[in-house]
Amino acid sequence: MLYLLSVVQLIFVVVFAPLVVGVFSKLCEIFESKQGPSIFQPYYDLYKLFRKQSVVPQVASPMFQIVPYVTFAMYLFLTLVLPIITGFPLSFGPVVDFIGGGLIFGAIAGLKKLAAIDSRNNYSHLGVSRASSIGALSEPILVLIFITFGVITHTNNPYVVNNVLQTSTSWYLSLVHWFVVFAFFMALIVETGKLPIESHTSNEFGMIDQAIEMEYSGRELALMKWGGYIKQFLLMSVFLNDFIFPFFVPMKVSLVAVLLYSLIHLVKLFVLVLIFATIQSTISKYKLFKNFEYVAVAFSFAFLAIVVFYATGGRL
Amino acid sequence: MKELFVLVGFAEIVLVIFMQWQYYLKKIIVTFAISSLLIGLLLFVQGGLQNNTSLIVLAALTLLVRFFFIPYYMLSHLEKVYKEKNPKQVVSTGTSIVVSLLLVILAYVIYRLTLYRYISVEAGSIPIAIILQGIFLVISRNNAFVQLIGYMIMENSLFFMAGYMFPDLPFIVEAGILLDLLGLVMISGVVMKLREDSVSEVVDEFDEFRG
Repeated sequence: MLYLLSVVQLIFVVVFAPLVVGVFSKLCEIFESKQGPSIFQPYYDLYKLFRKQSVVPQVASPMFQIVPYVTFAMYLFLTLVLPIITGFPLSFGPVVDFIGGGLIFGAIAGLKKLAAIDSRNNYSHLGVSRASSIGALSEPILVLIFITFGVITHTNNPYVVNNVLQTSTSWYLSLVHWFVVFAFFMALIVETGKLPIESHTSNEFGMIDQAIEMEYSGRELALMKWGGYIKQFLLMSVFLNDFIFPFFVPMKVSLVAVLLYSLIHLVKLFVLVLIFATIQSTISKYKLFKNFEYVAVAFSFAFLAIVVFYATGGRL
Repeated sequence: MKELFVLVGFAEIVLVIFMQWQYYLKKIIVTFAISSLLIGLLLFVQGGLQNNTSLIVLAALTLLVRFFFIPYYMLSHLEKVYKEKNPKQVVSTGTSIVVSLLLVILAYVIYRLTLYRYISVEAGSIPIAIILQGIFLVISRNNAFVQLIGYMIMENSLFFMAGYMFPDLPFIVEAGILLDLLGLVMISGVVMKLREDSVSEVVDEFDEFRG
């Protein structure tokens, strides 16, 4: 049964990840009083890219071509170990905890950066430099968040965190938890490349992650984009299920409950996407060096969560 | 009540960090008004629960003077250009946020090693942290308005501490501080106006207080 549910979760994430991006783009256009593309546009884009021929820089090593496949496989692995549509561990659930998941995300980012450098494209180098600078400051936020969760639940297992927050109203309402929620939300904006951190335009001023895949084309670009959609889907799901709204996630093994929750999860995701689209349409992009101040504020929230825990004797 | 105290206390800490983050004077003044509102409401609830008239009067004074009058006075004296202008900073924003956080830890350590033995209020380090943050806001910005706000944050945190931890403290001391502050802001306003009239090129910058 757990294997079957693992497959269901994998298919759910892989299939619906582009839809979330499509809905986000559509909402942003609606906010600008435009009709916008169809919510299925990311699927059309992927289909088009898979049929196109790949062009590889002459100077690039074989790693440049291998990385999209490896990173996509790693994203698929992550879908099997995080609480997306189940509150109980699936077959691969016990393999990694939050720290392990974070390490895999880090490894993917590292591989992408290496491949970008390998392309010898100036813009890609620029993107790698920017992403590394911001990543070096945003990673400690995630580490602090995981430490705080470790203090609350005595574990770093995302499933246990979900169960504790679902069942313990006192922890859910505690200031410690809500500081962590704010910190992760701010980190989520950084990780998913949304405004005010990154604007996806064609000029280089706002490029961070977008520049990393600059030299890719055809099938490799499709895999990079699809992997990006899955990353966004996973992070949003973790934010919903382990941070802001851990309710309704089935805690007992039941196919019907899981399928029913899948629909609820999509609704939760669309509400979150609406919030992101609202932010995207109302906030302007920060200057590049102001991003570090934003990260410092996010760090403050994560840090204050721990201070609250100790200043209140660990009882609030 | 303890939960409310902790909630308002950490909201105050976050608001001061927010002030450190902001470049525009208008936003800093409005943030100060919000922080005063929170403290006024806390004192009001505390006074109501304990049936303490002094606290209710103090809450009313806080709301009237710090939430309404002082921010309104400062905003009305802010030239339009200064609503947009970036105040000069001694320390960079990122560093000042990190230092603010370190001050919170310092306050916790100092409180645990000293006062906690005598009053054993669990979250008593919060007002001390806000006082330290206020001091740091004063020294980290080269702008008269922000320095005044830093000073008033220190005063606010004293009310916050007195209201929750020492509610029986004679009212006259607290009201005295409030009136001192009111006088200070009014005098500062007059001094600024005088400087504006006499040496406009200096006042255009709203330069720092120099002793």
